[in-house]
Amino acid sequence: MTAPAAPTRRSPFRWRTDQQWEGYLFILPSLLGFAVFVFLAVGASLGISFLDWGLTGSKGFAGLANYREMLRDPVFWRACTNTLFYIVTIVPLQLGLGLLMALALNQAIRGTEFFRMVYFLPVVTAIVAGAIVFRILLARNGPLADVVSGLGRLLKLPLSLPDLLASTRYSKWSVVLLTLWKNTGFTMVVYLAALQGVPRELYDAAHVDGAGAWQRLRNVTIPLISPTTFFLFILQTVGAFQLFTEPFVMTNGGPAQSSMPIVQYIYLNAFRYTRMGKASAIAWFLFIFIFGFTLIQNRMQRRWVHYEAE
Amino acid sequence: MFGKFWYVISALVVLMLVVSACAPMPAQPAAQPTEAPAAGAAEPAAEQVTLTWAFWGSPEEAVSHKQVADAFMKVHPEIKVETWNEPWDNYFTKIQALWASGDSKTIPDIAFLWPTPKYAAEGVLENLDPYIEKTGYNLDDYWPGLLESAKYDGSVYGLPRDIEANILYYNKDLFDKANVEYPDADWTWDDLVAAAEKLTVKDAGGKTTQYALAMENNGKYDKWVNQNGGGILDDMRNPSKCALADPKSVEAVAFFADMLAKGYAMRDADINQAGGDAGAFQSGQAAMIIQNTSRVSAFNTANMKYDVAVVPIPEGGKRYNPAGGAAWVMSAKSDNKDAAWTFLSWLQSADGGEKLYLERGEIFPALQSLAKSPAFMTEQPPANKQAIIDEAAASGVGTFGYFPEWDELNGSIIQPGLDRIWTGEVQAADALPALCEQVDQFLKDNGFPKQ
Repeated sequence: MTAPAAPTRRSPFRWRTDQQWEGYLFILPSLLGFAVFVFLAVGASLGISFLDWGLTGSKGFAGLANYREMLRDPVFWRACTNTLFYIVTIVPLQLGLGLLMALALNQAIRGTEFFRMVYFLPVVTAIVAGAIVFRILLARNGPLADVVSGLGRLLKLPLSLPDLLASTRYSKWSVVLLTLWKNTGFTMVVYLAALQGVPRELYDAAHVDGAGAWQRLRNVTIPLISPTTFFLFILQTVGAFQLFTEPFVMTNGGPAQSSMPIVQYIYLNAFRYTRMGKASAIAWFLFIFIFGFTLIQNRMQRRWVHYEAE
Repeated sequence: MFGKFWYVISALVVLMLVVSACAPMPAQPAAQPTEAPAAGAAEPAAEQVTLTWAFWGSPEEAVSHKQVADAFMKVHPEIKVETWNEPWDNYFTKIQALWASGDSKTIPDIAFLWPTPKYAAEGVLENLDPYIEKTGYNLDDYWPGLLESAKYDGSVYGLPRDIEANILYYNKDLFDKANVEYPDADWTWDDLVAAAEKLTVKDAGGKTTQYALAMENNGKYDKWVNQNGGGILDDMRNPSKCALADPKSVEAVAFFADMLAKGYAMRDADINQAGGDAGAFQSGQAAMIIQNTSRVSAFNTANMKYDVAVVPIPEGGKRYNPAGGAAWVMSAKSDNKDAAWTFLSWLQSADGGEKLYLERGEIFPALQSLAKSPAFMTEQPPANKQAIIDEAAASGVGTFGYFPEWDELNGSIIQPGLDRIWTGEVQAADALPALCEQVDQFLKDNGFPKQ
């Protein structure tokens, strides 16, 4: 889970070969599947991104035309902006909420097992089912709206829920809400594991030095779980880049493309507009972006990720 | 630990290289269909020709298609029809993958398809003109404008099975309760709005509890636009510019946006939540719906007190119904084209498949003679069947673009642009000119108008 610091490097040529072949045999079936259905397909999509291909029609070489069209396409940029919005909202919120929940459930109080299970349940719930339930819950005339306006009547305040799903202003937020509900339980569980790995004596030492609860959190807990934060950060960021099912099922990217992420636009181009070339071009743009982002993060981790000496 | 990590990674890379070097490279990159050949590729008996017939639909619909196939094989024992079906969601992707494979053994000979011009432009469909000419097949029996939806470059590539005749369904009980007279052929938009005001019921908080009208797909706005003499594009076959900013179009879009804003008409999201327009109508959440004839059997089964009427038109406007319907097409790769044509023309004949579908209550027929026959003019509700015929007779071109880029233009630019009007965030008069600029840019980028 945590990328460990490099102790010594062994030359790959000095590996013993006598134990290797059965290892290869074990992984061969899934590796073959991977080679055919992922590796070849990924390679082919790079080729397709330079073609003008409507799936059934003839294939013509298009050079960089697909990439040029992509960069000029306002809908592409709208989808990019939406995806960026999802990243800057979902990732910090998920890490923050997950940490808070983990801290709360790391206490020696009754019922923590029960709550851990409850918070983790959405992670193992089918996302499509969750999205459909959220669509009903958040609807303009749905139960949540009734609760809010009922509360308003009770408190004699003009409370009402905005149209979360069908307004361009809030549609993205309803996707954020669903994603948090779905994934924060996972963040919490990973953080819980990390918290339990923080040595007790460090807290005791900090306590002796007169550090308050906040200072212990700030100066002991957070630095010591930073490898986990880094892992979750990369994982959730890549996940947010690839967001698709949540908006696709709940808002179908609408209204007016206000919640459409970039992956949905790839899907539309490929399977609705049968523009395989353009879809592949956008997919490769997305790949390069994620790859670059992860690379930069990997470089930057030195500044804030603390690994314990082994 | 670190060493082991790199061990695994290198092992993966090495093996991947080995495996990919051994694996034969496919002739065409990507999207190879993984399907097995269509249902039991049994070799045809001595003189019997086997056709594969593709359609989408639920298991119940498949049953009625299979009965149609059986009826055909009784009349034509020399032709065997095998069926291939997929649910709507997967149908188009799978059939395109089959075409992409180019293998005539797996490609269906006859398929149910929409939109025909798009596929015709890709060259996967057989031009039906020579067969029509050779056998003297009667095209005049189709509703006006309907064949346009199955034509490409002036030639017929498909025979539409049905036509969408959109009519106004009204709940008599709710009309009686609100003391509103039933709609008739003289109703105008003003009458519709006046009735809607009385039929809409709101609670103390101003929330609508009973809507006057539920109309899916954003009020099928193109109907209002075309009724008012406006349009989406100046020419739906080969457009040169957007027509949505024309005053007549703006007026029509604003008309329906106003119905939504006032809470008379249900928004799409609310209709979905109510289980579609049929659900909203049956539960009394909406007093009227405007929809094609596919809802009739459900309402009859539920024993609803309802009738239908023609859709009100604006003062000085004209009736308009979108001339569109999925069509039977023949694959250009078919190995048995003459047999395929025999089947195709039998499907679309007044005493062949078309009649069977009609008798099962599944379609409003594409053939006028059948719609006006006793097979359609039955005693079953709705009473006012003339309204359906009147709407169908007003069919025309104006809802779909009959060119391959239409899906992208409509899905990527036009519908999202209109969304903002339906939500009430912008006014039609402000938003439509900007939308039209985007449409014009798209048309220009894609080389329209084409020669």
